[in-house]
Amino acid sequence: IGSSLTFASCLLCFTGKPIFSVDIHPDGTKFATGGQGEDSGKVMIWNMAPVLREEDEKNENIPKMLCQMDNHLACVNCVRWSNNGLYLASGGDDKLVMVWRRAAFIGPSTVFGSSSKLANVEQWRCVTILRNHTGDVMDVAWSPHDMWLASCSVDNTIVIWNARKFPEMVTSLRGHTGLVKGLTWDPVGKYIASQADDHSLKVWRTVDWQMEANITKPFSECGGTTHVLRLSWSPDGQYLVSAHAMNNSGPTAQIVERDGWKTNMDFVGHRKAVTVVKFNPKIFKKKQKNGSSPKPSCPYCCCAVGSKDRSLSVWLTSLKRPLVVIHDLFDKSIMDISWTLTGLGMLVCSMDGTVAYLDFSLDELGDPLSEEEKNSIHQNIYGKSLAITSTEAQLSTTIIENPEMLKYQQERQNSAQANSGPGSAGPESSAPKLNSVMNGESLEDIRKNLLKKQVETRTADGRRRITPLCIDRSPSCLQGFLPGAVQQRSNLAFGLLHHRQGPGGQQGRVCSLLLTSASKIEPMKALDSRFTERSKATPGVIAAISSTAGLTPLDRPKDPIIPPKDTKTKEDTSSDSEDKMAVINKNLTFGKRKPDLLMDGGEVVEKKKKGRPRKDKMATTITQPFTQTIRVAAPPAPVAVLKLPTPSTQKAFSLQVSMEPSVFLEVENEVSLVAGSKLSQLRCSRDGRDWDTLLPSSVVTAAGSSDILAVACEDRMLSVFSSCGRRLLPAIQLGTPVSALHCSAHFVMALTAGATLSVWDVHKQKALVKNESLLTILTGADTTVSQSLLTQQGVPVIGLSNGKSYCFSSSLETWTLIADKGDSLVQCADFRSCLSTHDAPVSSGPLAVMQGRNLNAGRLASRLSSTPHHLQQSMTLAFLENQLASALTLQSATEYRYWLLIYARFLVNEGSEYRLRELCKELLGPVHKSAATAWEPTALGLRKRELLREVLPVIGENLRFQRLFTEYQDQLELLRNK
Amino acid sequence: MAKVQVLNVAVLDNPSPFGNPFQFEITFECMEDLPEDLEWKIIYVGSAESEEYDQVLDSVLVGPVPAGRHMFVFQADAPNTGLIPESDAVGVTVVLITCTYRGQEFIRIGYYVNNEYTDPELRENPPLKPDYTQLQRNILASNPRVTRFHINWEGLADKMEDSENVDPSPNISSMLPPSCIPGKMPSLGLIPDNSMDCM
Repeated sequence: IGSSLTFASCLLCFTGKPIFSVDIHPDGTKFATGGQGEDSGKVMIWNMAPVLREEDEKNENIPKMLCQMDNHLACVNCVRWSNNGLYLASGGDDKLVMVWRRAAFIGPSTVFGSSSKLANVEQWRCVTILRNHTGDVMDVAWSPHDMWLASCSVDNTIVIWNARKFPEMVTSLRGHTGLVKGLTWDPVGKYIASQADDHSLKVWRTVDWQMEANITKPFSECGGTTHVLRLSWSPDGQYLVSAHAMNNSGPTAQIVERDGWKTNMDFVGHRKAVTVVKFNPKIFKKKQKNGSSPKPSCPYCCCAVGSKDRSLSVWLTSLKRPLVVIHDLFDKSIMDISWTLTGLGMLVCSMDGTVAYLDFSLDELGDPLSEEEKNSIHQNIYGKSLAITSTEAQLSTTIIENPEMLKYQQERQNSAQANSGPGSAGPESSAPKLNSVMNGESLEDIRKNLLKKQVETRTADGRRRITPLCIDRSPSCLQGFLPGAVQQRSNLAFGLLHHRQGPGGQQGRVCSLLLTSASKIEPMKALDSRFTERSKATPGVIAAISSTAGLTPLDRPKDPIIPPKDTKTKEDTSSDSEDKMAVINKNLTFGKRKPDLLMDGGEVVEKKKKGRPRKDKMATTITQPFTQTIRVAAPPAPVAVLKLPTPSTQKAFSLQVSMEPSVFLEVENEVSLVAGSKLSQLRCSRDGRDWDTLLPSSVVTAAGSSDILAVACEDRMLSVFSSCGRRLLPAIQLGTPVSALHCSAHFVMALTAGATLSVWDVHKQKALVKNESLLTILTGADTTVSQSLLTQQGVPVIGLSNGKSYCFSSSLETWTLIADKGDSLVQCADFRSCLSTHDAPVSSGPLAVMQGRNLNAGRLASRLSSTPHHLQQSMTLAFLENQLASALTLQSATEYRYWLLIYARFLVNEGSEYRLRELCKELLGPVHKSAATAWEPTALGLRKRELLREVLPVIGENLRFQRLFTEYQDQLELLRNK
Repeated sequence: MAKVQVLNVAVLDNPSPFGNPFQFEITFECMEDLPEDLEWKIIYVGSAESEEYDQVLDSVLVGPVPAGRHMFVFQADAPNTGLIPESDAVGVTVVLITCTYRGQEFIRIGYYVNNEYTDPELRENPPLKPDYTQLQRNILASNPRVTRFHINWEGLADKMEDSENVDPSPNISSMLPPSCIPGKMPSLGLIPDNSMDCM
């Protein structure tokens, strides 16, 4: 069968400098290379079209190079696109990892000061530099879904970065004792594997970042080193294939089975060490031949292996021998391989500075499974589907039917672009936003008055100090004022200038002047050195610099003129040189070199076992004991009937009951004896005005709000006064001494030592909660009340020492659980992606107070990402619904609104149409008035339809719901017009 | 990698009488918050013959510089004519904008400057003693020469690594004005002094 194989191979000669890494963009339209530049590392982004089609190659209008970045100080060892294609990560010998993002709104432009006529067609800008490694970075890898970015280094460590929050570091994996030279993520996201010079391959868990397996046997014989050890995980997750391993003193690529990390098989045949292994992203099944009876065949994977012996082999896991071996494609070792997402094309790069493109046909590889089929394989094996991403991708091609929807989609893209973390992918073709405004002022206006407006001060030593005008807060945010835009403006200014100068133009005139007088050439040559020589002295004061060091004009050769040819050989290393680019482009020849097809030498030692579905252990560590620090109240009083502690009577005390207006209470017990009875004095100062009153018994505790004051006395009497000192209620006799007393607005809450709760509405002179027992919630011997509060709406809330918080719902006449600090849902719910940037988190509401800091929105959740998605989804959903219900029963309107929006956003993100529809229906209510309807137009004083108006834009962010969006948008419009 | 990238320099008030202040509108981007100020300088090269005649027209501190994109206008008084050799007053010279961080220069932007009389009479017969009031300064704004230096952004100047080795060689090609096609350039002697007429 070997001889019948047909595939095309193109060779791209780039620079002659080593290319260490190549990676094809997920959309297949471009690819990145990383390697050595002139005096720096070089990352380049290339157009894929000229590689794929000869006519595009010849078409001069189609750019070949899209962008080049010289920012790395030393050789770039690895370039990798994020899975969503928005970011490019590069790692190099300068110990840095840089993350690049395309500046969407600018067209071709050159680097400032660059003489290059060849503009960068695309603008890729470094948005983050990740610094932690102390040695060369050898490999970088994005986790599935771009949650993390991993980098490994010759400093023996692997660093995991939080890709949603660069440059945050998640952890550093230590354990290798040699240079770590390769990384690969498990496609399921449960593991990451690394291979190092220490003769080991290690597998690490993503749950706790601990080592899962340490595989050393196949590497014990390995002698010598390779520059890289790029290992790879199969797309079905079942096999991990190492780089450089040895078997019977022959170099191999070791196959490691996920099941038990067994090492029974390997790819044999290369004559020198294997440097890179790369699995085809597709899973294949045998192509049905015409005429042959369709029989089900096992899906298989395809894997490319590159070696120091300059040859490349491609294997199918269903075949014993390699599908193809290509010798002598390169002059030096193969450094990296990248497959197209279609699985039919492959780029291979070599140390010799060339990149080859190989094209396969379906006949050779088989039929690739669709994403759905691939997902169902994942679902079968791991109980987890990776479908979310693929459906999102499909949705991006959905046509937007509703103009309102389009608006929200665009807003969403804009905000997504404003966020620095990898978020949702948005098309980059949004309308250019050149005339950006700041505070209603255009950049033009700002520039006109910049000199007048900018803040200039003098430092202590009399120096001028200018505070620059910040035109864009974050360098990663590429909206608004972009260098390209600025440059365009200045070009415009020049255009005007030319006009004013009349024919000939400013530029030309000055230029010619520069070259006119022969006498000036000498000085000009001398002047030239000034451009590049660093100042010898940098005094801070205005003074003439006098320095005799360095090149003086007299030292320089006295050529009358520099021959233009010479300029070709000289290169300005600091800025982009047009000459160099021209050379590169000339060299971008696509010599169709006929590769030698050799089918010898390759042999699979053991046939791949039939892939049998295996249920992975579902996440077992979802719930963890949660250590809580809660102020434990004093132990309960020894008296059996007194469940709750009581405050002791003090001789005198004072407290501030309200800040605005400022109200102070002062209590002095047993001030005077009148006819043998002891009187206590209560003094109150409100905004400087005082009143006082006398009570027949010692005051034990007092509380107040801006409206009312309440005091409880030793005789178990509760008295309530207005802010002016007028008694509002007759003295209330409590059954047992008071344990805690609260006032809020016009409500009074008394918690007694007998574990009963009462709440009164002083205005209405009514009881809201009538002597309710806490025994229902005080379960467990040691449980006691650690916290109690009364909301502005008169809802009593009790926090217990067991971490649970309850409120008594007067409408339901029962205790309701509103928060549980040990609740696993709280820890596992992950709704961070649903947090809106516009709404500040509610931190002062009763719900937030009771839940406290434990509500670290899915802190743990991110670590449990290997929790099956549906499980996490359900937990989050349950948690959010709990929050909503709690906010509702607490009558906390702001918190209700806050959680409602998060809930809606979550439903939108997760695509729960059924719930979303019910939510909308509830918020909209009946459109047509009917006599008997139970629907309340408001919830906690919030108009439900207003809430719906807030929810709709959120729904509009997901194209999938455009029908739903339109439906409710129309009905709202209808209602408004009524 | 340099933490500060100069994105654009616009030359304002150009051309202008010799005595007018220099004005450069500088746009730069900073990767991360800088704990220290940037120091910008404008240096006027009085004579090509010697650095002795260089004048630092002004130096300003620019800060604070948080991460992001910023712009400011750097204005500096015209050079002190008393310090310019009379023979170099008219003709081509250079103005430099440099920026240093923690005492280390990381970028140098150079422009050719042409000083000439606007009056044809004076141009034909320039006075022996330059009349600065009649001179016009013209900065070749379209052709900045930018040289970037690697510096140590984190630490002090003395920790700088081999900065001398990374100094780029001058890109002489960019000195050629864009309008002149190298191959067709006539030898210099043939170009008349007053080239404005011939263009």
